[in-house]
Amino acid sequence: MPRTPQEDIPQRAGEITEVNMMTEHSMMEVAERYIAGSLSQDELNTLKDKLATDLSFANEFGECVNMLRGLQSGGAQKRFSNMLKDIAAQEAKPVSKGRTITLRAFYVRTAGIAAGIAMLTSLTTYWAIQHSNKKIASQYSLLKRDLEKYQRSQNQLINNIKEQATAPQAEVRYTGTGFALSNDGYLVTNYHVTAGADSVYIQNREGRYFKAYTVGYDQQADIAILKVEDKMFRFGKGEVPYTFAPNKRKLGTKVYTLGFPQDEIVYNEGYISAINGYQGDSSQYRLEISAYPGQSGAPILDANGNVLAMITGKEEESDGTTFAVSSKALARLVQSLPKDANLRLPKGNKLNHLSLEQQIEKLEYYTCSIKVYKK
Amino acid sequence: MQGSQQLEEYLLAQLAAGERTATEQIYKQHYPVVTKWIQHNGGSEADAADVYQEAIVVLYEKSQDEAFRLSCKIGTYLFAISKHLWYKKANKRQQDPVSLPDDDRQEWAYEDDVNAHRERENYYAQLNAALEQIGEPCKSLLKAFYHEDKSMQEIASGFGYTNTDNAKTQKYKCLARLRKIFHNVQVK
Repeated sequence: MPRTPQEDIPQRAGEITEVNMMTEHSMMEVAERYIAGSLSQDELNTLKDKLATDLSFANEFGECVNMLRGLQSGGAQKRFSNMLKDIAAQEAKPVSKGRTITLRAFYVRTAGIAAGIAMLTSLTTYWAIQHSNKKIASQYSLLKRDLEKYQRSQNQLINNIKEQATAPQAEVRYTGTGFALSNDGYLVTNYHVTAGADSVYIQNREGRYFKAYTVGYDQQADIAILKVEDKMFRFGKGEVPYTFAPNKRKLGTKVYTLGFPQDEIVYNEGYISAINGYQGDSSQYRLEISAYPGQSGAPILDANGNVLAMITGKEEESDGTTFAVSSKALARLVQSLPKDANLRLPKGNKLNHLSLEQQIEKLEYYTCSIKVYKK
Repeated sequence: MQGSQQLEEYLLAQLAAGERTATEQIYKQHYPVVTKWIQHNGGSEADAADVYQEAIVVLYEKSQDEAFRLSCKIGTYLFAISKHLWYKKANKRQQDPVSLPDDDRQEWAYEDDVNAHRERENYYAQLNAALEQIGEPCKSLLKAFYHEDKSMQEIASGFGYTNTDNAKTQKYKCLARLRKIFHNVQVK
């Protein structure tokens, strides 16, 4: 179990109420007690309010927590390694004869892959985005889900109390859908989902929140590429199982999608009804597939598990006509990212021999809900 | 079978807590199979021992997560991780690339664990680099607390502070300084 520092720090209730006056070393003290779980409920509430309202404080505090966790787990690991070396030195000659171990199919739980040095909150603001959105004609409606209309509590999804510390504090304003570009935390969604956000979180299959930041976007095509901040974060246990179609598919191709019009993931299917999208936009497809608010950013796949497009909007008067930006436009944006982003689109398709149900089962790990916070 | 699984869980919990006896038992039990495999695949005895130790450290790291449950036998896990580590190490040396025994990807299903381990090692190395730059008495004080697991009382008397509170204040100041240096190290 993770080691905690000495807990002999005196409990001084209300100490952090004057958090503005907090010196850097008392911030360390609060961070240490936060990790040890020795803050009183009052202190914890004050801290949470402060984290939610003061972003630069949240940033610094997150850094402190991460560093302290790193020191603690690093120290414990060092002691463990030293002990192992000692054991190894003692056991210079193996005594027992080994028995045969058969390798069997096994799966490791994805839970906790993101454990360890979990990032608390650290805000990297990359948005130098001008808020003038692209011209959206009135018949074109975007599919982000405005939660003020829905009045749903997202927070009830957090079942693990400990996790609450990493859950965002402010109220969610919009939700959308995103899907993985790489297993280590690159994902893609619509530009209009995250535009103007104060902060963006993704919620993975297990309901855990992870903070994400924008690494690149194409406003015209309505694509944003995000990265989960936590370096330990993984979507699933292996690389992303789908590939991205290099060219447009033919009229009539059957497609399906997974998205989050509600808190639960939802499946829908349809077909390509036109090769070009809204008002002849060649970067889009026009699809006959129903889509609801919250499904902005959802992947469109063909029967072989190739991503063809990403849902961006729908025609207002009709129920089934949906527009989706093609994977080609997406690949173009990926290529334009700076080299140090080190992002390459997945090459191996692990879905093509699977049944639809099996494909969906795998895809669920790589599709996530996106929560956008605005003040 | 039920009983052996319970035993494995017990051993793992003990290993997670850094208990020597259980760690030793795990170490001894799987040493022959794993190291033999590495030696069959082009590694020296020393390579084999190194890789095997590292695999146990990976297991230890995984075990620190409270949500972690054993989804296979400890031996299976250690073997898979060791293969992975050895595969990477051997390829890095640019010897003859180690050929996989078969194409069964299941054996390599723990790639994420190994990558997470690398990233973690990297993070610790950066922290340690910052620690080396911080100067005395901070360096010794923080090492005593975090690396050697000394209590603040021991540190207070060892470093000649009049009381524990003074030592603590000093520790927090050191941490604040470490954070500044660490941040610069990371930026590089």
